[in-house]
Amino acid sequence: MDNFKVLLVDDEDDFRETLQKRLRNRKLQVEGAENGYKALEMLQSQDFDVVILDVKMPGMDGIQTLQEIKIKKPEVEVIMLTGHASVESGIQGMQLGAFDYVMKPVPLDELLDKMRQAYERKTMRASHGG
Amino acid sequence: MALTAIIGATLLLTGYVWGGTAVWLWAALAYFLISRYASQTAAAVQQGFVTGEQLLQAQKLAALGELAAGLAHEINNPLAIIRQEAEYAQFVLKKSTIGDSPELLEVRDSLREIITQVDRSREITQNLLNFARKREPVLQQVEINRLIEDMVRLVEKEARNKNIHLQRHYDPDLPVVTSDPPLLRQVILNLLNNASYAIGADGEITVATRTLPNREILITVADTGPGIAPEVLPKIFDPFFTTKPQGKGTGLGLAICHGIIQKLGGRISSTSEPGRGATFAVTLPLSAQSQEQPA
Repeated sequence: MDNFKVLLVDDEDDFRETLQKRLRNRKLQVEGAENGYKALEMLQSQDFDVVILDVKMPGMDGIQTLQEIKIKKPEVEVIMLTGHASVESGIQGMQLGAFDYVMKPVPLDELLDKMRQAYERKTMRASHGG
Repeated sequence: MALTAIIGATLLLTGYVWGGTAVWLWAALAYFLISRYASQTAAAVQQGFVTGEQLLQAQKLAALGELAAGLAHEINNPLAIIRQEAEYAQFVLKKSTIGDSPELLEVRDSLREIITQVDRSREITQNLLNFARKREPVLQQVEINRLIEDMVRLVEKEARNKNIHLQRHYDPDLPVVTSDPPLLRQVILNLLNNASYAIGADGEITVATRTLPNREILITVADTGPGIAPEVLPKIFDPFFTTKPQGKGTGLGLAICHGIIQKLGGRISSTSEPGRGATFAVTLPLSAQSQEQPA
């Protein structure tokens, strides 16, 4: 069983709720946030290991949210998820320290695989003290 | 070394002419860094590990990176104060009972512009900090072909609109590599994006992987763009060097790639015949040595 906690950030309720349900079916601990502000609030009050972050959101977009997460909670690994492939925001995201930049739709198993790798990275960084 | 002394003296003199304490400090730091790197260079070249040229390039980058990060830090503080004061002035104006005279509107405009420009400057310093940030590699198992394919698909969508086609020549027997996946993604994405930019429209990007006889992994990204002029080729990994129009590129993309690949124990190089495109080659060891382990 995967023993890590995931925060799902996406403004599209249908997408977020369905993905949340599917990941919970796989016995993952998953919470949802409908925008960047909410996500940052939740990251302050709870411990998460991996954040799945939509790139295109109204208000604070995914890149801005990523930037804030990397300042406030640099230990959390972030996987960017995007409906509109944009190479520029991909480069920005990777440069800002995202773990991966993935295009929707992504098969659930593939996403799970990436989440496991992201979590592995987080635990490795913690054990190295960095 | 004579060269080091000359560079150091020049930098110190520059500091003296500018007169500021901070500038002095940075000049001294630059001297220290360059002399340190220079002595390392000499030792490594003597031991025959690498060619002097390669090493000089790498160390130039490292020294510049450290210097840039320090400066960016220093500049960020006054920037934050400027922004805060401008915001406060805006707030005071909003509260004021003077009304909306044309002069006041102009002051508002000007405050808005100050904030815009501060944000622009902050973006530049942020880029510098990102460039130099010590992101130590975290080593994980990587399926290189899969990692590349993810990035290729991302670029392919945009490229298709410009009639740029992506060809894959992945070696199916490529061994699993121990390296840093997000850092590698950054490099691959940058190389693909540069290739697409170089072509502009109508062309082909060929991505290939294979195992070299010495068990290293070779990744190549080749484009059918105009190629790189011979006089430009030696500079393309230098920080701040860019052939893009002003405001379009920071000139840090390839410098960052160079830094990453070096950290991962690999090499990056480019070859080009003007008019016949350019090829970027990245070699990676099967396992990047963790630098945290004692030697």
